[in-house]
Amino acid sequence: MFALSLKMSLARKGRLVLTSLAIILGTGFLSGTFIFSDTLSRTFDRLFTDVFRDVDAYVRSTNFIEVPFGGEQRAGTPIEALDTVLSVPGVKDATGDIQAFARIIAKDGKPLGSDNGPPTFGGIATASEAGLWTVEEGRLPKGPTEMVMDEASVKNGDFVIGDTVRVNAQSGSREFTLVGIANYGDISSPGGATFALFDQATASEFLLRPGLVDAFLVQGDGSLSQEELAAGISAALEPSLRLETLTGLQIAEETKNQIGAVVGFLSTFLTIFSLIALGIGCFVIYNVFSITTAQRLRENALLRAIGASRRQVTTSVIVEAFIIGILGSVLGFIVGIGLSRGLSVLLAAFGVDIPTSGLAIRGERVAITILVGTIVTLASAVFPALRAGRVPPLAAMRDTAIERVGSRKIRFIIGGVIAAAGVASLVLAAAGVNDWLLGVGVVGVFTAVIIYGPLIAKPVALTLGAPLARRSVTGAMARQNAARNPRRTAGTVAPVLIGVALVTAFSAFAASVRSEIRSVIGDQFGGDYAISAPQNGFGGLPVSLSDEVAALPEVAQATGLGFATIELDGVGRFVQVINPATAKGLVDLNMVQGDQSTLSANGVIVSNNRFTTEGWRIGETLEMKFVDGTVMPLTIEGTFVPNGFFGSYVINREVFAGTPNSLFDSIIYVVMNGGVSEEDARAALLAVSEQRGLGALQSREEFIDAQANQINQILGLIYGLLALSIVIAVVGIVITLLLSVFERRREIGLLRAVGMTRTQVRLTVVGESVITSMFGAVVGVVLGIFVGLVLIGVLADDGIAAFSLPVGSTIVILLLAFVIGVIAAMYPARRATKVDIMQAIATT
Amino acid sequence: MTQAAATATAASKIYGSGDSEVRALDGVTVAFEKGRFTAIMGPSGSGKSTLMHCVAGLDSLTSGSVTIGDVQLESLNDKELTTLRREQVGFVFQAFNLIPTLNAMENIMLPISLGRHEGNMEWINKVIDTIGLRDRLDHRPSELSGGQQQRVAVARALASQPAVIFADEPTGNLDSRTGGEVLGFMRRAVSDLGQTIVMVTHDANAASYADRIVFLQDGKIAGEMTEPNPKKVLDYLKHLGE
Repeated sequence: MFALSLKMSLARKGRLVLTSLAIILGTGFLSGTFIFSDTLSRTFDRLFTDVFRDVDAYVRSTNFIEVPFGGEQRAGTPIEALDTVLSVPGVKDATGDIQAFARIIAKDGKPLGSDNGPPTFGGIATASEAGLWTVEEGRLPKGPTEMVMDEASVKNGDFVIGDTVRVNAQSGSREFTLVGIANYGDISSPGGATFALFDQATASEFLLRPGLVDAFLVQGDGSLSQEELAAGISAALEPSLRLETLTGLQIAEETKNQIGAVVGFLSTFLTIFSLIALGIGCFVIYNVFSITTAQRLRENALLRAIGASRRQVTTSVIVEAFIIGILGSVLGFIVGIGLSRGLSVLLAAFGVDIPTSGLAIRGERVAITILVGTIVTLASAVFPALRAGRVPPLAAMRDTAIERVGSRKIRFIIGGVIAAAGVASLVLAAAGVNDWLLGVGVVGVFTAVIIYGPLIAKPVALTLGAPLARRSVTGAMARQNAARNPRRTAGTVAPVLIGVALVTAFSAFAASVRSEIRSVIGDQFGGDYAISAPQNGFGGLPVSLSDEVAALPEVAQATGLGFATIELDGVGRFVQVINPATAKGLVDLNMVQGDQSTLSANGVIVSNNRFTTEGWRIGETLEMKFVDGTVMPLTIEGTFVPNGFFGSYVINREVFAGTPNSLFDSIIYVVMNGGVSEEDARAALLAVSEQRGLGALQSREEFIDAQANQINQILGLIYGLLALSIVIAVVGIVITLLLSVFERRREIGLLRAVGMTRTQVRLTVVGESVITSMFGAVVGVVLGIFVGLVLIGVLADDGIAAFSLPVGSTIVILLLAFVIGVIAAMYPARRATKVDIMQAIATT
Repeated sequence: MTQAAATATAASKIYGSGDSEVRALDGVTVAFEKGRFTAIMGPSGSGKSTLMHCVAGLDSLTSGSVTIGDVQLESLNDKELTTLRREQVGFVFQAFNLIPTLNAMENIMLPISLGRHEGNMEWINKVIDTIGLRDRLDHRPSELSGGQQQRVAVARALASQPAVIFADEPTGNLDSRTGGEVLGFMRRAVSDLGQTIVMVTHDANAASYADRIVFLQDGKIAGEMTEPNPKKVLDYLKHLGE
């Protein structure tokens, strides 16, 4: 029987290939994600192995604060401790190391490197053998006006030795003379980052604070192991300095793990979308098997009549699924190799520019892909296979095969129960009981809609097809064809529906976030212009810039707004940093008690919410720990209602004065003097900001638009990742239409005989396809808006108050569904027009 | 002689070539007169269905020519042929005559709707009354009996008042009583409504409803008979078989 099933499957090569397509795309995405993540991990592993290759020990501060949402900020290391390290036996050489924010400004006034790409660093170039950089050309920088640069940046910026180069860093924007070109070990620019390098004193003062470096890199003389060396250094260092010594291996490992966590997050994100694609592939496979077993009813009944057992008939279907699963997964893995490149390109297009080299293809990934693909295919075919086995032998004698919708009543009840459970979970989630209830609820509602699919398919298809039917008899036939097999139509529609619902939910969510940002910034920001730092990069604008801007004769008022991390009650938290002297009218907090303009250098304004829940009192002090480990008692001087996205604490920027802690401004708000023309205003502001590579200048409207549209980037990425699922859904429509056309070839032949033109045949198939895709789109949009509403409801506490209907996107989705319907019908319609009349109407 | 609704002249249809060559039609020349009911008879493989398909514009000849009205079919492209079938030709097949998703009335109106014409409703109502299925017009084919389905098919063939109606074993799937009803209805369509019908059959009883019978054997015309009755036909067939 196995051999027979094998033969029967192979006899239908065309269908085998088509069905495989769904699984090829699904597993392709999965393996593409695997390969992409593996390649990324390997690239970074190699990079950091290279970076710390010659480092035997690594000295750094033990003071650090965990940044909310991941990462840490560590305090600097005092350079005077370097002498102690150098005197430890076994140390051959040691040097300070800095990797801080610095942006090199190219000759056209634009910063080198992209806002969202690899970081832009400033560091130390030293003659010490422990240093990571070697000067290839020119000489080492010396004194406060000299620098060297990595080779790739020199090339990209079209610089030559002797050029004057502008660099922006924490302390401001300065010009240096380029005196040399440096290489990082064997590579010119690790990971695509840019590097501006100075002597240690200049680097400390310009990039961090005078006298501080990030860490010491230590090279041993080979007499001691890394552990012994680290232990020796540790023992020699004053405990009061609060420094720790790691071995070279440890720091390399730690860095790899930090990057690994980021790669892991990215790969989880991608895996979710590849699982969605696979799930949609499931529906397509299930539907194809359902249709073909229905079409093969008589064939299977004949097998049963001549003595095949139920199990043998079922097995024959399973064998076919098995072949498709293996075949599809193997091809899918190959497709995945190409897709992994596609993912790189897609991420780059949305600002996540990640350098990768070569492709990492691991054996176990191949195995997992094939296993998952095969299991998914088999699981999708189980029900159709069982149904095939249940065919009564008598069906062989009956004339036509009609698919029956199982028991409508049972379907109705099961769907109802799941829908009720889903909605209940959503209500509980919205009430804030538990966040995972949101996921359960959404899955429940989706499942219920899909279970109800065959019940609603007929009325929905008839309703959607009504306008077509009024126009012509081809429209009427398309409408009837879409409605004639409700289960088949529902099965074809499900993937489209899921894809559209997800797209709509994300659009609705994004639209709400956008309008929320608009109103928040609109309320809070009263200036004419804003100068803002790149949002996703690290670092920002030097704090001194806001004072420079304020001093311009055209400017009436300017204030900087920054963010920092502090630790309170042992937890890292964001604080908003303002300049109370200049903030009035530009950064307006919704004060409940106190006055923001009198916020002192020892004060803090806290959110009213926290104030109440913690039972704090005005005048009470909060112990805030800063990155350098110092704990400052800050007095609560007022309370405010945070609107939207700004943290629960606001402090004065003076808090940072004289401390070794870094502070950048993110945005500078500006009000111009009356009578200054827009042209003059822009010219004056551009001269100090953009033309020096500092931030981007935007008018109030431009700024609000830009802030609100930040979410579009991530939305675009999500759309890109969902595109493959949509493609699989379209493949599903194509296969269903092809099978339907094949099944109806006699009908088409008859129509051709009585005078239907080829064009009319084509239009009938296109009409059916459009009705099917519109069905998915309309129900999907409704479901998506519902999910979006729930999402906003659940997140209402997190600052998103109002739901905005994504009208534009909804129209685009519906138009797109129409186009997809037409495209999906192209090939099946062509096949339909090729039906041979004579063959189709032949009696036998 | 009355004018011909359809003619075939030196019509040949050859399948395959060389040793495996089969001459389904071998130089057949025949005319089907307007307003008459003609039957084509012959044993299996005599070429009767092929002749009908070629004259109806469903299939093409290897050589020779076919006219419907005064149009020569060989000169038409696919689109013109389709329009001709829709407007000048009616069809009744042995089985699977109706579109399952359309009701009886929609099936009757199908050629007219496909051509986006209004149709002659007075005529169509007359046809519907003649087939006697007015109360079943909104039923789907699956809700009609075999005989009713064939009557709807005949009504559809008549609806556009075509130049000629071709029927391919229209009673082949029916019992003799229902078959008789359908044949009687076709007879009336010719006698009372002035239509032209060409019917392929191997049933002597069915053929005796016709005005004239054309006998085919081995792809050639073997003879003719006018004013047939079943006994005469059976005798002739017997003689033909010798």
